[in-house]
Amino acid sequence: MLQAIELSKRYEDGHLALDSLNLEIKPGEIFFLLGANGAGKTTTINLFLNFIDPTSGMLTINGIDVVKQPLLTKKYVSFVSENVMLYGNFSARQNLDFFANLGGKTNLTRKDYYNVMRSVGLQEDAFEKKLKTFSKGMRQKVGLAIAILKDADNVILDEPTSGLDPKSASELMQILANLRNKGKSILMCTHDIFRAKTVADRVGIMKEGRLVMLRNREEFLQDDLEKIYLHYMQEAIMFDDANLKS
Amino acid sequence: MIWLIAKKDFILNLTSSRFVIGFLLCLVIIPFTMVVSVDGYKNQMRVYEVDRAEALKKWQEVKVYSAVRPEIVKEPEALGIFTRGIEGNMGNSLTIRLGEYPLLLTGHAGTRDNPLLNAFFSIDFTTVIAILMSLLALVFSFDLFTREREEGTMKLVFTNGVSRSAFLMAKFLGVFITLVPILFFSFMLSTLIVVLNPAIAFSSAEWLGIILLFGAAILYLMVFILLGMVISAWSKKSSTAIVVSLLAWVWLLFLVPDIAYYSSQSVSKVAPYDNVLYSLDELDRVFREKTDEKWGEIQKQMGLDGIGHWNWSGGYDGYDELYGCTWETNEFHRRLNAWREPARLDNADKKWTFQKEWLDGLQRQERTRQVMSWLSPSEIFQQIASSLCRTSPESYLNYMQRIREYRATLIAYFHGKKLFESFSYFTQQDPKTFLTIAKTQQMEEEGFFDSKNFKVPPYWEGSYYLPLNLDDVPKFTFQKQNAAGSLKASLGLVVGLLSLGIALFLVVIGVFQKYDVR
Ligand SMILES: Nc1ncnc2c1ncn2[C@@H]1O[C@H](COP(=O)(O)OP(=O)(O)OP(=O)(O)O)[C@@H](O)[C@H]1O
Ligand SMILES: [Mg+2]
Repeated sequence: MLQAIELSKRYEDGHLALDSLNLEIKPGEIFFLLGANGAGKTTTINLFLNFIDPTSGMLTINGIDVVKQPLLTKKYVSFVSENVMLYGNFSARQNLDFFANLGGKTNLTRKDYYNVMRSVGLQEDAFEKKLKTFSKGMRQKVGLAIAILKDADNVILDEPTSGLDPKSASELMQILANLRNKGKSILMCTHDIFRAKTVADRVGIMKEGRLVMLRNREEFLQDDLEKIYLHYMQEAIMFDDANLKS
Repeated sequence: MIWLIAKKDFILNLTSSRFVIGFLLCLVIIPFTMVVSVDGYKNQMRVYEVDRAEALKKWQEVKVYSAVRPEIVKEPEALGIFTRGIEGNMGNSLTIRLGEYPLLLTGHAGTRDNPLLNAFFSIDFTTVIAILMSLLALVFSFDLFTREREEGTMKLVFTNGVSRSAFLMAKFLGVFITLVPILFFSFMLSTLIVVLNPAIAFSSAEWLGIILLFGAAILYLMVFILLGMVISAWSKKSSTAIVVSLLAWVWLLFLVPDIAYYSSQSVSKVAPYDNVLYSLDELDRVFREKTDEKWGEIQKQMGLDGIGHWNWSGGYDGYDELYGCTWETNEFHRRLNAWREPARLDNADKKWTFQKEWLDGLQRQERTRQVMSWLSPSEIFQQIASSLCRTSPESYLNYMQRIREYRATLIAYFHGKKLFESFSYFTQQDPKTFLTIAKTQQMEEEGFFDSKNFKVPPYWEGSYYLPLNLDDVPKFTFQKQNAAGSLKASLGLVVGLLSLGIALFLVVIGVFQKYDVR
C-alpha cells in the first residue's frame, strides 16, 4: 500500500512542485497518475523512493514512514524508471542477477532469469548480450524484469510505456494486471490515456502539483477519459491566457 | 550487500580499458625502471669494492701513527634500488683527519660512469609507484558516483535498501580490490627483477623494509582513492570530476613538491659554503702561524740553530715521518707534535662550529622543504619510502654523525696511548739508535761518513720497516638501521598519511550523505 498525506514539495529554487497531495493506492489496485509535463508526477515518485525529502506532509509504504525508515520501506517497493539504464558492460542476465541479489533474492538460477525475461517479452537471443547494445525498449523490459523479480508489494513505474512498441506495451499492461491479481499496489505515471482505459482501477489527473481529478474505473469508463483530461488541460491554457491578458 | 556491489564494480573494472592500460603501463615502466636502478646499484657496488680495496691497501701501508687516516667507504644501500632518495647526490667516501670534522661524504657521487651522459629517464621504483598508483586511483574513482548517477543505475541501487554509507564503502572496496592486485603485481615484478640478479642479496631487515614499503604504498593508494571519491561526490558530472581530478593530481604530485623545493630555499636561507671555507682558511692560517712560532720556540728551548733531516716526509695535515735523523731532530719533532696535534684538534673544534652551523642550515632547509611538501600525499609517501630504504637525508646525516663519533673514538685512542707525545707518532726507528749531534760530529771527524767507506744503515730508511700493526686501533663499524628502526623513523609520517586518509573518508561520508542520486 502506498500513501501520501498532505504531501508538499518545494524545490530549492522556490518552485512548488507538489501542493498538499493526498493519494492512496491499495493492495490489488492499479493507479494511473496522469498529468501534463511538469505536473509533478516524477516528483511524487522521487518522494516515495526517498530520493528527495518532502517539504511537508507524509508518505508511507505498507504503513511505514518513508522519511523515518527509508531503508526498511525500500524492501516493499520496486521501481521502473522513465529511462531504464543498467550496467552496459553486463549482460541482461548479469544485470538481473546483480539486482536480484541486491534485493535479497540469492537463490535464483539462470532459468529463473530466463523465465522472467521471457515473460516481459525480451527476445531470447538478447539474454546474454551486453546491455549497452540494447534499444531503449529492450532496456525498459529488463528494468521491468528486475522489478518483477524483486516481487515487492508495491510497484512504481514512471512512464514505462515510452519507448515500447504497441505489442510490448499491451504485454506490459497484461503483466501489470497479473501483478495486481497477486495483490500488489501499482502506481504508474503516464501520458497514455488509452492504456489507462484498459487496465487502470483508478485514475488521477495532476496539474501544477495538485490532484485535480480522481475517478474509479466505472466513473471514467462512463465519461470519456480523453475529454475529461483535455478539459482539465484546457482550463490551464485558458488560465494562462487570462494571465497574459491582464 | 557491500561485497556484492564491490564485486560488481571489480568485474566491471577488470573488463574496462582503463584497467588494461594501467596494467600495461606497470608492465612496461616497472621492469624498465628496475633494470636501470639495478644497473646503477651494481655500478655503485663495483665502485665501492674498488674504493674499499684501495682504502684497505692504504691502511695496510701505514708505518707511523701520524699517517693513520682511516678512509670510510660507504656501502651503497641495496634498498636504494627501490628508493634512490639522496643516495645519488652524495659521495661515497671520506678520509678521517685530525684537523677536520667529517662533514659530508666526498668521492664518487652518483652511479653513472660518464657524467656527460645525461639520463633522460632516471626515476626510481617508488616514484613510478607514486605517479602511477595515484593516477590509477583517481582514474578509477573520479566517476565512482557520477557514472552511476549519469547511467541512472544509482536510483535502482538505492531502491534496493542500500544505505549511503554501505554504498560508499562498497564503491571504495571495488576500486581497492581492483588496484591492490596491480600494486602487488608491481612489487612482485620489481622484487623478482632484483632477486634474479645473483649480485644482489637482501638481508632479512631489507626484506621487511620492502614489505613495509608495500604497506605504505597501500596506504598511499587508499588516500588517492578517497581523494577521487571526494571529488566524485562533489561533482554532479563525470566531465567535471575528471578535470578536477587531473588538476588535483598535477597539483599534488608535481606543483606542491616543486613549490616546496623552491620556497624552502627562500624561507630558510643557507649561505654558500665558500663563506664557511673563508673562515676555515683563516683559522688554518692562524694555526700554521702558531705552529711556525712554536717551531722557533722549541728550537730555541733546545738551543738548536736549525733542524737537519736525513729522511723526512710530512705535510701540513699532520703527517710526519722521519728516519735516520739525530736525537735532537727526533726530540724536536716529538715536542712539536706533542703541542701541535692537540692544537690541531682544537683548531678542528673551532672550524666545526662554522661547519656545523652550515650543516644545520642545510638540515633546516631540507626540513622546511619536507614539512612544506606534506601538503602532497605523494611526498609523504616518498619520505616514508626513503626512510624505509635508508636513503633519506636523515639516514645520511645519521651516518655522518656515526663517523664523527668514530673520529672521537680514534682521538681518544691516540690520547690514551699517548701517541702524540711519542716517537712512534712519526718514526719506527728505535730511539736507542738515534745519534746525538755531538756524536755525529765526532763520527764525521773520525771519517765515518767518507763516501769511500760509508754505508747508510738500513734502519735509516723507511723501506726498512714493516707497516704498523693497527689491529688495536678502533675501526669504523656502522650498524645499519633495522626495519624496526626505520619504521620508527617514519612512523610519524605513516600516521600522518593514515590521518589524511581518515579525514578524506569522513569528508566523503559527509559529502555523499547529501548527494543527489537523481
Ligand atoms: N530539481 C528540481 N529543482 C527545481 N525544480 C524542479 C526540480 N525537479 C523538477 N522540478 C520542477 O518541478 C515540477 C514537476 O516536475 P516533475 O519532474 O515532477 O514533472 P512530471 O510530471 O514528471 O513531468 P514529465 O511528464 O515531463 O515527466 C516541474 O515544474 C519541474 O520544473
Ligand atoms: Mg516525469
